[in-house]
Amino acid sequence: MSQPVTPRRSTRSTASAPDSPCSPPKSPKSRPKPPPRRQLLPAAAAEPEEKNTLDALLEALPGRRTQVTDLLRLLAPAPALPVMLHGGAATGKTRALLLALRHLRPSPRLAYAALRSLPSPRALFASILSQLNPIPSSNSSRRRIPDKPSDFIAILRDALAGFVAQGEPACLVFDNLEVVRGWDKGAQLISLLLRLHDLLRLPQVVLVYVSSATPDAYYTMTGSVEPNYVYFPDYTVEEANDILMRGHPNPKLYSSFLSVVLKPLFRVTRRVDELAAALEPLFRKYCEPLGDLKVVPDEGIKRRLFEHLQPHLAVVLNETFSVPMRALVGEFKNGSSSGKGNVKWHFGGRDGLSSELEFHMSVSAKYLLLSAFLASRNPATLDAALFDSTGGSDSRNCKRKSSQASIDRKDTMAEEMLMKGPGTFPLERLLAIFQCITSVSEDVLNEVECPDSIIGGSGMTGLMSDVLLQLSTLCNSNFLSKSRSCPLEGSARYRSNVNEDLALKVARSVGFPLSKYMYRR
Amino acid sequence: MAAAAAAPVASQAQAVLRKRLCDPAFVHSPLKSSPDTNYSKLKYLVASSVSEACNNSVLLLGPRGCGKGAVLDMVLEDLKKEHPDAISVIRLNGMLHSDDNCAMKDIARQLCLQHELSFSKMASSDDNTEFMIDMLRECGLAHKTVIFILEEFDLFAQGKQRLLYSLLDAMQSLTSQAVVIGMSCRLDADQLLEKRVRSRFSHRKLLFIPSSLDDIQSLTEHLLMLDQASVLPTNYVTEYNSRLTSIFNHKKFKGILNSLTDADATTSNILRFLFRVVSYMDKESGLLSIDCFTNALSCMQRQPKMDSLQDLSILELYVLVCMNRLEDKEQNSYNFNTIMKEYKSIQDAYKTSDKYATTVCFRAFEHLLDRELITFADTKGRNIALEYRPVKLLISSRELAESLKLNTTCPTVLQKLLDRERYM
Repeated sequence: MSQPVTPRRSTRSTASAPDSPCSPPKSPKSRPKPPPRRQLLPAAAAEPEEKNTLDALLEALPGRRTQVTDLLRLLAPAPALPVMLHGGAATGKTRALLLALRHLRPSPRLAYAALRSLPSPRALFASILSQLNPIPSSNSSRRRIPDKPSDFIAILRDALAGFVAQGEPACLVFDNLEVVRGWDKGAQLISLLLRLHDLLRLPQVVLVYVSSATPDAYYTMTGSVEPNYVYFPDYTVEEANDILMRGHPNPKLYSSFLSVVLKPLFRVTRRVDELAAALEPLFRKYCEPLGDLKVVPDEGIKRRLFEHLQPHLAVVLNETFSVPMRALVGEFKNGSSSGKGNVKWHFGGRDGLSSELEFHMSVSAKYLLLSAFLASRNPATLDAALFDSTGGSDSRNCKRKSSQASIDRKDTMAEEMLMKGPGTFPLERLLAIFQCITSVSEDVLNEVECPDSIIGGSGMTGLMSDVLLQLSTLCNSNFLSKSRSCPLEGSARYRSNVNEDLALKVARSVGFPLSKYMYRR
Repeated sequence: MAAAAAAPVASQAQAVLRKRLCDPAFVHSPLKSSPDTNYSKLKYLVASSVSEACNNSVLLLGPRGCGKGAVLDMVLEDLKKEHPDAISVIRLNGMLHSDDNCAMKDIARQLCLQHELSFSKMASSDDNTEFMIDMLRECGLAHKTVIFILEEFDLFAQGKQRLLYSLLDAMQSLTSQAVVIGMSCRLDADQLLEKRVRSRFSHRKLLFIPSSLDDIQSLTEHLLMLDQASVLPTNYVTEYNSRLTSIFNHKKFKGILNSLTDADATTSNILRFLFRVVSYMDKESGLLSIDCFTNALSCMQRQPKMDSLQDLSILELYVLVCMNRLEDKEQNSYNFNTIMKEYKSIQDAYKTSDKYATTVCFRAFEHLLDRELITFADTKGRNIALEYRPVKLLISSRELAESLKLNTTCPTVLQKLLDRERYM
C-alpha cells in the first residue's frame, strides 16, 4: 500500500479484503503490546501496518477462546445482526469485546456507552452523539442535546448514514444494559435500545449489547430482530489459575502457592476479582518464612510454607475482606457517604472489629447507639419494667412458669423476629432510654469517665442539641435508618441496623452491661 | 497456493451471504412471484387507491419478525417506481411518536422535507395539524398520494388517540388522497380504537403468520444457494452448492429445522439461525457443513438459567439448596436469616468442610441476587436491611437438581439433601 489510506479509499481495499481478519497473517511482525483498556480508538487514524494477530488477541484473553472466536465471527464482515454478550460479573465481557473490536480490520467507528455511568437517557444520547461526531468546543454551544427519543433517532441516523455512505463500518456498544431496568421508565429505554436495528434501518451498523443479566430479562422488549447471544461463563479453576499466574515475578513459587490455596477459596467464590483480593495478603503471609523471594521452592520448603499458611487460610476463608486498623476511619467515612441501603460495610466493619475494637466514636454516640439497639430489640411495653429506678438489674430475676402454649408462642415470636428484623421506634423513646442508661451507668460505674459534664450536669437543652447532632451522624453512617413518618403519629421513626455482636462490643468498650437490659424471648 | 487463494473467496462468500441475510427485501423477494400472498394483496390495495385517487386505511397484524415491515417496504419500493412523483411516504413509530404533539410535529417535518418547504420548529401543535390538513388537500388536488405508515400501531392507541382521529378525520374529505397503514404485533389492535376513531377506519386487516416448514426449507435454499453469475469463481460456487444440496438432503437437517421451528418459526428467527450458520463457515475452504448447522442450533437453544447455575461456587449452591428446602417445608416467606438457620442446621447435622462464616455466606447470597437466580419477594421496604428482606427462588427444584447432577465438583451431600427432601 503505497498511497496513504484515507477512510474513503479504505473501503475499496477492504472489499477485496487483503487485510481482513479472516486472511492468514502474512507478516509475523505483530506488536504484542496489548492496547490500554477502554481507550476509544479513533478509527481512521489507526496505523495501517499495526496488526494484532489473532494469537495475540487470544493471548490477551485467557480462557475466552471460544467466546472470542464466536464474537469475531459474528462481528466480522460489515452487515451484521445485533449481538448480545451476557454472563456473570467479572467474566471479561467488556474487555473481550473491546479488544475484539480493535482487532477487526477495518476498525469500525466505535461509540461506547456504559449505561452505569450515564444515568439518564439524555446523558446517554449526548454521549453517543458526541462520540460519533466530535465537534470542536466552539461549535458545541450551537448543538442541542436531544431530549426525546424521536429527535435522538433522527440525529443518530443522520450521523451513522454519513459513515455508511463513506463505507466506514460503525459500531454502537451499550454496556451494563441490566442497570436500565431499575430506572424510571427504564423499560421504554431498553426497548428503544434493543429495537435500534429496526429503527435505524442501517444493517451496516453493528449493535452490541453487554449485560450481566440473562437474555430472558429482555425477551419482551426486543423488536423484530433478536440479538445473537454470546455467553461468557465463569472461569474454571484452571482458567482462574492461568489468570492469576499472569505477570508474576516468581511463577514457580506462586504456582505452588496457588496449588494449595486456590481450590478451597474456589469453593467459596468463583469471581476472579474477589479471589485476587483475597490472595494478595495471603501470599504475603505465605512468603513470610522465606528470606529470598526469588527462591525456587522444593518439596521441603513447600511443606514448611504450607504448614505456616494453614491457620491463616482458615481465617481468610471466613472473611469477605479485612480492613487494616488505620483504614478504619476512612472506611466509616465511606460508609457515611455511600448512603442508605448499603449493608455491606457493616459486615466488613464487623470483620475489622473482630480483631480489636478500635472505634472512633464519641462516648455519647456509643450510648446513643446502644439505646437505639435496645429500643429496636426490646418491646416497648417492657421499657417501664427494665428501666425502673433500680436500673433494671433486679427485675430480670422473677421467672414465670412457662406453659406449652407460651413456649409455642415464644417459638413463633422468635421466628417472627428472624423474619421481621429490628423494630422501629420514635425519637421520644430513644431519648428516654438514652437518659436512663446514661444515668444508670453514672450511678453504677463511676470509674467510666464518660457521659461528660454536658450530659450529666448542664440542662436539657444542651443535651438535646448534642444528641440530635449525634443522631443525625449515626443515621448518615447507616448505623440507624430513618424510616418514613408514621401516618398515625406523624413523627419519623428510627430503626437500628446494628447487629448483636457489634452492640455487645460497643457496650464492652464503654463498660455498659448491655446483656442485662436485653429482653430474651 | 490453492489454499491461500481460497481464503479470500471464503470471506467474499461470507460477505455476500451476510448481506443477503441482512437485507429484508432479498429475504422476502420470493413473495413477488406468487400471486396469492400478502404482498400482492397489499400492493393491489395501495396501488388502487393511488390510481383511483381515493382514501384508504389498512392494518398489518402479526407476530414480530414475520415480515410485515419488509413486505410493506417492497410494495412501496415498487409503487415508487411505477408512479415516480405521485407518492410521498410519512413514517411514524409508536415507540418514538406516541406523544401526539411530537407526532404531529414529525409529520409536518417530513411533509416539509418531501415538498421542499421550510419547516418551523416553533410551530404549535395546532399549526402543525392545520398544516397537515392543508397539505393533504393540496396533495389531493395535485393527485399525489400521501402514505402514512404507523409502526407499532397499538402504541398510538394509548391515551386520547388525537393523532389517529385527526389523521383519519382528515381523510373523510373528498379532496384528500391518503393511505394510512398501521403495523402492529397485537392482533386486537383495532379493538383498542375509540369509537370515533373506529368509525372512520376501514376495517381492512392483513394477517401475517409464521411460515410452514416447507416454506422455511425453500427460504433456506433461497438464502444460502449462491448463483453462478456472481463475482465468486465458478468452480467454487458449484462445489459450494453441491455441498449445500447434500446437506439439505441429509436426514439430520430436517430434524434441525424441526427443533428450530418448534420454538419459534418466525422469519427473523430463521434469519438469526442462518446468520449463525454462515458465521461458522470454514474459513479455509469457504464451505458449509452439517456441523455448522448443529453448532448454530446448540447456540440458539442455550438455557441461560442452567448456564448460570453451572457457574455457581459450592457455597452458592448450598445457599440455593437451603432455600429450596425452606420452600419445600412450605414456609411461606423466608429471608437471609432463616436461610442461615437452615444452613447451620445442615452443617451441624452433616459436619461438612463447607462451614463458613455468615459474612461469607452473605456475599454468596449477594452473588445469587446479582445473577438473578433469587430475588426479593417484595418491592417495598427498601430501607430494611438486606438480610431481613424476604426472598424467593427464581429457579425450579428440577432445574436445581439437574444442575447439581451436571456439576462434577458438587459434593454428594448436597445432592442427598436435595433428593431426600423430595422423596420424604
